[in-house]
Amino acid sequence: MPRPPVTSAGPVKGVRTPFTGPAPCPAGAGTIAAPALTKCQLYARSGELTQGWHPPAVVWGRHRTHPLPTPPYLQGECAINASSPPSPQGPPGTPGAPTPAAAARAAAPAVELRGITKRFPGVVANSDIDITVRKGTVHALCGENGAGKSTLMKILYGMQKPDEGTITIDGTAVSLGSPADAIARGIGMVHQHFMLADNLTVLENVALGSEKLYGIGGRARAKIRELSDAYGLNVRPDVLVEELGVADRQRVEILKVLYRGARTLILDEPTAVLVPQEVDALFDNLRGLKSEGLTVIFISHKLGEVLSVADEITVIRRGTTVGTADPRTTTSRQLAELMVGSELPSPETRESTVTDTPALTVNGLRLTATDSDGVVREVLDGIDFTIHQGEVLGIAGVEGNGQAELVEAVMGMRTPDSGRIVLADEDISTAPTRKRRESGIGYIPEDRHRHGLLLEAPLWENRILGHVTETPNSRRGLLDGRAARLDTERIIEEYDVRTPGIEVTAASLSGGNQQKLIVGREMSHHPKLLIAAHPTRGVDVGAQAQIWDQIRQARHEGLAVLLISADLDELIGLSDTLRVMYRGRLVADADPATITPEELGSAMTGAASGHLDHEAPGIPAQAAPEGGDDA
Amino acid sequence: MRRVTKVAASGIASAALALSLAACGSTSEQKAQDDSSSGSAKAGGVKVGVAYDVGGRGDHSFNDSAARGIDKAEKQFGGSVKELTAKTTDTEADRLDRLSQLAEAGYNPVVGIGYAYANSMKEAAQKYPNTTFGIVDSSVDAKNVDSIVFTEEQSSYLGGVAAALKTKTNQVGFIGGVDVPLIKKFQAGYEQGVHDTNPKIKVDVQYLSHGSDTSGFASPDKGQAAAQGMLDKGADVIFAAAGSSGSGSIEAVHGKKGAWAIGVDSDQYQQASLAQYKTSILTSVVKNVDVGVFDLVKSIHDKKPLTGTNTYSLAKNGVSLTTSGGYIDDIKAKIDAAQQKIVDGKVKVKTTP
Amino acid sequence: MNKLTARVDRERLLLALAAPVLAVVAALVVTALVILATGKNPFEAFNDMLSYGSASDSQIYILNKATTYYLAGVAVAIGFRMNLFNIGVDGQYRIAAFFAAVVGGALHLPGPLQIVVIILVAMVVGAMWSGIAGILKTSRGVSEVISTIMLNSIATAVIAYLLQPGKLGQLDDAGTLVSTKNLPKSSWFFTFDAGPAGELWGFIVIAVLVGIAYWFVLGRTRFGFDLRTVGQSESAAEASGVGVKKMVVTSMVISGAVAGLVGMPTLLNDSHAFSNDFPLGVGFTGIAIALLGRNNPVGIAIASLLWGYLERTTGHLELIGYDKEILGVIQGVIVLCVVIAYELVRRFGLRRQQQRVGAELAAQAAAATDEKLEVAR
Repeated sequence: MPRPPVTSAGPVKGVRTPFTGPAPCPAGAGTIAAPALTKCQLYARSGELTQGWHPPAVVWGRHRTHPLPTPPYLQGECAINASSPPSPQGPPGTPGAPTPAAAARAAAPAVELRGITKRFPGVVANSDIDITVRKGTVHALCGENGAGKSTLMKILYGMQKPDEGTITIDGTAVSLGSPADAIARGIGMVHQHFMLADNLTVLENVALGSEKLYGIGGRARAKIRELSDAYGLNVRPDVLVEELGVADRQRVEILKVLYRGARTLILDEPTAVLVPQEVDALFDNLRGLKSEGLTVIFISHKLGEVLSVADEITVIRRGTTVGTADPRTTTSRQLAELMVGSELPSPETRESTVTDTPALTVNGLRLTATDSDGVVREVLDGIDFTIHQGEVLGIAGVEGNGQAELVEAVMGMRTPDSGRIVLADEDISTAPTRKRRESGIGYIPEDRHRHGLLLEAPLWENRILGHVTETPNSRRGLLDGRAARLDTERIIEEYDVRTPGIEVTAASLSGGNQQKLIVGREMSHHPKLLIAAHPTRGVDVGAQAQIWDQIRQARHEGLAVLLISADLDELIGLSDTLRVMYRGRLVADADPATITPEELGSAMTGAASGHLDHEAPGIPAQAAPEGGDDA
Repeated sequence: MRRVTKVAASGIASAALALSLAACGSTSEQKAQDDSSSGSAKAGGVKVGVAYDVGGRGDHSFNDSAARGIDKAEKQFGGSVKELTAKTTDTEADRLDRLSQLAEAGYNPVVGIGYAYANSMKEAAQKYPNTTFGIVDSSVDAKNVDSIVFTEEQSSYLGGVAAALKTKTNQVGFIGGVDVPLIKKFQAGYEQGVHDTNPKIKVDVQYLSHGSDTSGFASPDKGQAAAQGMLDKGADVIFAAAGSSGSGSIEAVHGKKGAWAIGVDSDQYQQASLAQYKTSILTSVVKNVDVGVFDLVKSIHDKKPLTGTNTYSLAKNGVSLTTSGGYIDDIKAKIDAAQQKIVDGKVKVKTTP
Repeated sequence: MNKLTARVDRERLLLALAAPVLAVVAALVVTALVILATGKNPFEAFNDMLSYGSASDSQIYILNKATTYYLAGVAVAIGFRMNLFNIGVDGQYRIAAFFAAVVGGALHLPGPLQIVVIILVAMVVGAMWSGIAGILKTSRGVSEVISTIMLNSIATAVIAYLLQPGKLGQLDDAGTLVSTKNLPKSSWFFTFDAGPAGELWGFIVIAVLVGIAYWFVLGRTRFGFDLRTVGQSESAAEASGVGVKKMVVTSMVISGAVAGLVGMPTLLNDSHAFSNDFPLGVGFTGIAIALLGRNNPVGIAIASLLWGYLERTTGHLELIGYDKEILGVIQGVIVLCVVIAYELVRRFGLRRQQQRVGAELAAQAAAATDEKLEVAR
C-alpha cells in the first residue's frame, strides 16, 4: 500500500519542544483562570518554542470548531475555549446564565491544587498539576487510563503525599497525612470498589469507624434518615447491605461520606458499575448535593457522562493538567482530543519505504474468551492483514477493542481459535512465544513494567530478557554474562539510555530510559517484525522523539512494524497504513497522509467503516459538535 | 573439564575444613571436665535424668504419667531431676545426644520415656557402662538397661470382658489414638477379651490418626466424633485408648443413656476434669508407667539397680482394671476369673490384632 | 577497572549482609530479654552457647544437622526463586525416604550401586510427589500452598498404611517400633571419622554438590534465567517466551527431587531404616532456612549451620537449667526479623539506588542538553 509522500513545513529532525501538553488558552482566546494563563505565557516566552514547534497546519487547519486564527502553538489545546464566548462560567446551579461576577464568587475555591508533583520509581505519576474546584459545583476530572487521575485523588484524600506542590482547601493551605486528615477537612472519597461489610446493616456500615459522631443507635439512625432525605438518597438504615443492589450500595457509600461531615466528595469512576438508568439517578443525586452547596469531584473517562453532569472539566494527560473545558460548549470529540493529545510527531519529508515483500500475514484470525459468567465472547474476529517489509501498519481503536489481544495472539501468548499467522514465509500459527521471538519478532509491550522488564533485576539481565537463547546472551545453554554485559553497555551508548551503569535495577530508571532500553534490546536482534504497543506511553518528550526516530530508522532498513497506539497523532505520523479496530474487528482503513484525528476518532467509535476518506461527506456530520456555538 | 575439577576440589576442601575444625577443638566432654562439673556436686539423693518423648511434661498423657513416678521418687528420696524433651525433627543422633548429655552430667539413672529411645539407648548404654538406663515401652538388650514394658493387652483383655458383659446391643467400640503397634496391643487384647466372652459381639475399631501424625492422641474433638459415630451405629460400650482424645469420646458416651465408656492409662473415674461424666465411666484400663519409673529410681536409691526386661503385667499389678464407681461390681467374679486365667497362663493374650 | 568496581559493589554486598545480621542481632536482644524475664543471666547463657557450640563434638553434630537442613533449604529455595511456596517439602522427603528405605532394604546390590539406586529412588519419589502439586496448579489452578499441605497429610497416611507389620514394615522385639528392613551394611554411606568428636556424615559431600549445582543452574544457565524470570515477573516471563506452566511443573519437580534427598543423610548415615520415629517437620525448618539464607546457596549454608548451632547449644542450655522453649523463641524471632529486615533493606536499597541514579543523571544533564541543542540545529 504505497502512499504519496507528505510534505510539511518545519525542521526535520525529531526534536520537539518542551511542550509536554497543550497549554490552556491565553486570555484573549478563552476564559481560563489566572494561573493557567501564567503557564501559557511561560510557553509563549520560550525561545525554543517557535523554533521547535511545527504548526500542525495540515490537520488542525481543518478544525471546524475554531474559526478565529490562534497562535500555532496554542491550536488544538485551546480550540475548545476559543470557540466559547467570554466568561461563560455561570454560577453553580444556574447553567446558561453566565454572569461577569462569577470570578469573584470563586474567590475561595473548595479545593485548589497548585503544582502537584508525585514521582514513583520509574515514572512521574503527576507533574505540575493545577486544579481549581469551585464550591458548589460538580467538577469532572478526565483523562485516559494511566493519565494520573487516581494518584491525584489519592493525594487529595491524604493517601499519598505529593513530592511538590500545595493543596488549599477553603482558602487554607493544608498538609494531608492520612485520609483521616482529609475527612477532618471535609473531604470524602467514594471508592470505585465499595468498602462495605455485606453482613452488616446500612446503619452499622455507616457508623462503623465513626461511632463517636452520633453513636451507634437511634441518634445515628436519625442522622442517616436526615441526610438521606436532604439529598434524596433514599437509604434505609436497617437493611442488610448484602440485600442491596449496586446503585443502592453506592448511595450508602455517598451517605457514609456525608455522615462524616464531608463538604467535598470525590467519586472515583462512579458510573463504571452502573447501568444507564442508575447513572441518571446518580446524576440526579449529584445535582441534589450540588444544590445544597456541596462540591463534587467526579473522576471519569466516559465523556458523555462528564459532559452531562459536570459544571467544569479538567483534563489530565500524562500526569499533568492540559486544560479545562466548559461542558456546555464542548463536544465529546474535543474533549477526547484534549485527553489523547494532539501533538503531531514532527513531520518530515519522507519517502515510502514500503516494499512488496510481506513480513507478516495474518489470515482469518479469530479469538474467543470466556468471561467469569461463562459467556463466550468474541475478542477478535476475521482479522486479515499483511505488513510488508518497510511498512508501519498502525491500528487505531479505543482501548479494549481487541488490540491488546491481537498483539498477544501474534506473540503467541494467546491461542487463537482459528486463523493463520505467517512471518515472512514461515507459518508460526502454532509456534510458542520463544520460537516466534527467535524467528524475528521484536516486541515493545504496552505495559513495560508487567511485560517488558524485570524491575528488580539489573539492566544487563533485562537485556537478556526475551532473548535468552540468542547471542550474545548465551551459548549452548549457558548464559554468557560477560557478553551480555558488554552488549548492554553498547545499547546504553547507542540508544542513549541515561543510567550510571548496567548493574542498577531497571526500577531505578525513568520511564523513558526504561523504554529506550527495551527498544534497544528488541532492535539489537534485527527483527523482521516489530510489534510496538503504545511505544511512547508514559515516556518523556525527549525519549518519545528518539523512539520515533528509531522506529523510522528501522523501517527504512526494511523492518515491518505493527503499531498500536492511543495517541492518534503518533499513529498518523508514523504509519504507512492505518486500520481501525472496533469490537474485535478491523472495520476501516485510512490513508495517514490525508486522514485527520477526528475522522479517525469517529471510525474508532464504530460510526464509520470501510475506506475512510476525509472528504467523504458522512464523516464530518458525525463529528458535529454537540454543544458548540458553530454547530 | 576444569569446572568439574573445581567443583570436586571445593567439595573436598570444605569437607576437609570441617574435619580439621572439628579435630582441633576439644570435645564438649573434655570441656565439661575442665569446668570440673560445677553442678554435679549437689549433696545426697538420686540424680535422675529424664528424656521425655515429644510433648514432654505437661502433655496430660503418656509423658505425664511417667512424670508422676519421677515426682513421687523425688519426694521420697530427695536428690535432683533433670528433664530434657524430644523434638519432632529428632534423628537417632539427637536422641543419643540427649541421653549422653544426661549421663555425661552424672545423672543416674537416665530414663528414656517412649520406644523412640530404643536404638539410641543401646549405644548410650555401651558408651556409659556405669550409668543405669531405663526405657519405657521398649526393650534394650544391654546389661545396664532396665526395660520397662507393660502388658497392655492383658488389662485390655479384661476391659473387653467387662464390655462384653455390659453390652445390651452386642456391639462395642474401640477407639485408638494413632495406629502404632503400641496402641494395637490395646486393640488386640480388647477384641480377644470381648470375643472370648461372647463371640457374637461385634467390635467397631477406629483410629483417629495414622503414622507420624500423632494428633490422634491430643484431639478430643476427633475422639468425640468417632465415639458419636459408633454410638449412632449401635455400639453401647466404647474403649478409647487415645490419650487426651479419650475425654472427647467419654463426653460423647455420656450423652447416650445406658452407654458405657472405658477409660485408659489412669483411673479416669477419679480425674477432676472428667468429674461430670464419671457416671458413664465403667472402668479404666490402667497402665502404671509411674510405678515402673518409680521402681527404677528406687532400685538405684537402694543401690540394687534394676536391669533386664521388667514386664509390668497383670500379675505384678503393673496393669489393671479399676473398680471405682462400682459399676463392674456385679460382674466382678467373671473378671476375676478371667484375670486368674491370664495370670496362670491358661489364656495367652495376643499383642497384635 | 571501572567495570570491576561496578561489579564488586561494596555497598550492595553490605546491604545484602545487613538484613540477616540485623535479624540475628535483634533475635539475640529479644532472647536476652526473655532470659532476663525468667530471672536468669543471659550472658552466662550466651557464654555457654559459645563454649559448648565450639566443642569439637558439637561441631560434628552441627555439620551433620546442617547437612539435612541445607538440602531442605535448597529444596524450598528452588520454589521460592520461582515464586512458588513449596510447603510440601516435608511430605516429599518423608515419602521419598520411606520408599528409598523399602527399596534399599529389599535389594542386595553391590554397595555403591545400591547407594546410587537408593538416592535415585528418593529423588524420583520426591519429584513425583511434588510434581502432583505442579500439575494441579497448571491444569486446575490449585494453589501449590494448599495442594502441598494436603499432599503432606496424604504422604503421612500413605506411609502409615504401608509401614505396618505384614506390609512393608516389621516390628522390633518389644513390639512397639515398626520400621522398614535395615539397609545392608554395604549400602551405608561413608563417614569421616573424627575420633572422640564422633563421625561426620559423608552425605555432607552430596549437600555441597547440590549447593554448587543450585548456584550453577540458577545463575549460569538459560534454564536458570528462565526460572528466575518467572519468579520475578510471571507476565514478563510469558512475554519473553518462557512457557510459564511448563516451568511451574519443572521447578516443582526439581524442588521435589532435592526434597527427596533431605531424608538421605538420616537414612544412609544414621538410622539405616525408616521407622515411625523418622524425623518429622524438617521441611518446615527448610522454609525458615531458605528465608534466612535469602535463597542464596551460601546464605542457605550459613543459615542451616546457624540452625544446627542453635539446636545444639539450646539443648545444652536445657540441661544446665534454662527453659527448653528458648530455642523456639530464638528461631521464631530470627525468622520474623529476617522477613521484616529483608523488606526494609530492600526498600532502602531500591530508594538509595534511585537517588544515586538521579544524582548521577543530574550531573550528566548539562552535557546532555548541550548535545541535544546541537542535534536540534
